[in-house]
Amino acid sequence: MPPAEPALAPADDAQLIAAWQSGDERAAAELVRRHARAVARFLAGAGAPEADLDDLVQETFIRAFRAVASFRSQCQFRTWLLTIGGNALKDLGRRLARRRVVPLDERLESRDGDPHERAVAGETEARLQRGLTRLPRMQREVFLLRAQQGLEYGEIAVALGTTPGAARVHYHHAVKRLKEWLQ
Amino acid sequence: MTYDHDHDNLHDEDLRQAARRVGHAAAERLDLEKTAQAVLARLRAGDSPARSPMHWLAPAWMRAAAVVVLMIGAGILIGRETNGTRSPRTAATIAVAASGELSDFTPGQLQDVMAGLEEPVEITSPVHAGEAGVEDLSEPQLQSLLKAMED
Repeated sequence: MPPAEPALAPADDAQLIAAWQSGDERAAAELVRRHARAVARFLAGAGAPEADLDDLVQETFIRAFRAVASFRSQCQFRTWLLTIGGNALKDLGRRLARRRVVPLDERLESRDGDPHERAVAGETEARLQRGLTRLPRMQREVFLLRAQQGLEYGEIAVALGTTPGAARVHYHHAVKRLKEWLQ
Repeated sequence: MTYDHDHDNLHDEDLRQAARRVGHAAAERLDLEKTAQAVLARLRAGDSPARSPMHWLAPAWMRAAAVVVLMIGAGILIGRETNGTRSPRTAATIAVAASGELSDFTPGQLQDVMAGLEEPVEITSPVHAGEAGVEDLSEPQLQSLLKAMED
């Protein structure tokens, strides 16, 4: 039996980031394990086609690790990742639009085509997911960061480069429009 | 959970719960270990990007061209030397230029080289810069030059 890879001591995100910057790949892998599901949930909610979800999550972490020197703990590492994920998704939308093969909205609507899965997920969730794709990007991301990820307006503001007051306004606009669509 | 509920009414709770479920199934299907390894593999590939063949060819060609020019220059000077227009010390200098290697020389030879470098070069006929360029030589000239160097 081959010797097991030495386990990484429990550490917070800042310690893992520092370890990665020193060249410890195990730290990077641990950060992926720790945050990948949250990033995937955010991206799926923001409209990422499920077929592209895995690649988008990877892309998010790659961009983050390559730019980690610019992360100054202005917000939580996870929040920073979600922002980067939002940018990666936006870039994917541009690429799909350039190809003009299938409009992004249609791809998004077709990803939950499994009837059983849709039934399990619930009609409200499915309609919410469709509604989210119709929101302006800022409203969609503020809504997801607040309602899905549970972040405070202050942190959302830092992540999205806006003010807490503006983030609050975006959130309430998003909620109002989603409610209209869901009713 | 850092969420603060102060600013949202009760009806928003349904929306928040639905939002928390959005993407949950897809996220659960994500293979964390596979994703982590894929990220590391892509990072490694990005750290040492595949370089185009030209990237490696350019320095190699530059080195080869420099050696050829050096040898041609040395050949021209040696040719003049055989005509009796150069001192023995200068011949040693030429030999160094041709070989490009000083470590094989004895101390005596090195002294000759140093002295040779201090001597003015005697040139019986002017050598134009263009004469030493490889690109100005025709193919037969290049072949004869290489043959002469092999002899």
